Amino acid sequence: MDARNPILATAPAGSFPPRANRVRPGRRIADKILITASTLATLIGIVVLGSILLMLIVEGIKGFSPMIFTQPTPGPGSEGGGIANAILGSLVLTVIGIVIATPVGVMAGTYLAEYGRNSKLADLIRFLNDILLSAPSILIGLFVYTLMVRPMGTYSGWAGGVALAIIATPVIVRTTEDMLRLVPSQMREAGVALGAPPSHVIKSVTWRAASAGIVTGILLALARIAGETAPLLFTALNNNSWFNANLLGGIPNLPVMIYQFALSPYQNWQSLAWAGALLITVTILALSIVARLVVKDQRAR
Amino acid sequence: MSPTTSMSGQLAGRNPANESAPVRIAVKDLNFYYGQFHGLKNVNLNFHDRQVTALIGPSGCGKSTLLRTFNRIYSLYPEQRAEGQILLDGQNVLDPKVDLNELRARVGMVFQKPTPFPMSIYDNVAFGLRLYERLPKSELDGRVEDALRKAALWDEVKDKMKQSGTGLSGGQQQRLCIARSVAQRPEVILFDEPTSALDPISTGRIEELIEQLRTEFTIVIVTHNMQQAARISQFTAFMYLGELIEFAPTTKIFMNPDKRQTQDYITGRFG
Repeated sequence: MDARNPILATAPAGSFPPRANRVRPGRRIADKILITASTLATLIGIVVLGSILLMLIVEGIKGFSPMIFTQPTPGPGSEGGGIANAILGSLVLTVIGIVIATPVGVMAGTYLAEYGRNSKLADLIRFLNDILLSAPSILIGLFVYTLMVRPMGTYSGWAGGVALAIIATPVIVRTTEDMLRLVPSQMREAGVALGAPPSHVIKSVTWRAASAGIVTGILLALARIAGETAPLLFTALNNNSWFNANLLGGIPNLPVMIYQFALSPYQNWQSLAWAGALLITVTILALSIVARLVVKDQRAR
Repeated sequence: MSPTTSMSGQLAGRNPANESAPVRIAVKDLNFYYGQFHGLKNVNLNFHDRQVTALIGPSGCGKSTLLRTFNRIYSLYPEQRAEGQILLDGQNVLDPKVDLNELRARVGMVFQKPTPFPMSIYDNVAFGLRLYERLPKSELDGRVEDALRKAALWDEVKDKMKQSGTGLSGGQQQRLCIARSVAQRPEVILFDEPTSALDPISTGRIEELIEQLRTEFTIVIVTHNMQQAARISQFTAFMYLGELIEFAPTTKIFMNPDKRQTQDYITGRFG
């Protein structure tokens, strides 16, 4: 055997040629260049991201005051004010979005992973879902505008919620499918082998086994839609005061508020926009951390 | 050319095969296909009531495939199909009219890797019981305890029935899966290499358990381990390349097989 392997076949240990001689110098240089290039690229990323965050924190904290949680957005030219109406509006829109997207997304993901394993239809749905996942969100806003705002004759929280749901659904579909696929097939076989119909196995075994992953997907979708601006521009629009309980008319919300206030000439509006941006960022960060903790907990089990 | 003496030593203390025991499962002209691949070729074989039958053979010989036809678990995968007859108490289980869920309640299965469900120990064992029977709490408790006792797990888990089944050790998980099957009071229990993921001590416990379960259930076990087949089975079927080469009482297979291939396999000349 050794005769075939020139490296092992050479005489006693110690008589190997020094390692350096066996590596072409060109390779060492290539190695160094690659390490330098990737370190540099990482640094650029960190610096850019870090300066954005730093700016956001510095400016955001300046705008922070207890008032932002109690006062509605101020009118043009008026002093002070808060963003309480936009916070509540964002909360309502996000909740509507996630409440619609969760059942649709989880069910569709379940179809893809469990029932449609070998079907062409599932392949098509998966492909379309991936396209939807990366569709420009402004298009989704326009779509819902045509679908709901025009027929209803008014901007509304419902339209905004539906637009956000369309953004969130493909995220949930994707993670649900991925997480269900991680459940070993023996688990399903064991359920079926006890005489349980597939629907029961999915409900009480596979969903349970993948629950942490599915919840994470929902949280990530939540984080995604919490900061979406474009789909709301044509649907929920915005509003400078409190909104009706029936959610008709423009609904104030953080992303569009930030967009409008940041562009305004008023000093207090700009600082409210900074505060709102910081608030959204912190919320998304918190959601992502919770999502990570959930996954970690699942892995530990 | 006599088989190794170590093997005959293991056979000594074993229960002899009862060849007059009634036939529980009769396999007739069974062919199995994975898409185009012909996995089982004209298999004819009888399994006797309350006997342990071991299926042995090298990897890919079709022993697991055969096992997986008895509860039609293969039908989860559309490209797999079986032709022929498998008579369970005279009823052909391959008949499309057979109620699969009922069949699987009658034919339990334990897998290679332990498959506890992500729920409490109690719920794991009660899983099958809750499917079709609506038992009062006290009776359900009794059935769960009974099953855990039969699986020799009761003493270890009786104080932590509410804890997750996934927190048990590998060997305990496998006994939990056995309890889950036993709780349904099946007629046949299929074991698909039940100890290949376990340490020797856990393996020993499972083997003892199978020996005890034999008094109540007809058992079919697929194993890679020939010593294990010799230790726990009354009958052994040797398979090779999708065909049944030889079926006989375990003592005969290991001491004095009829076929040259069987002899070569059990003495380790190939496989």
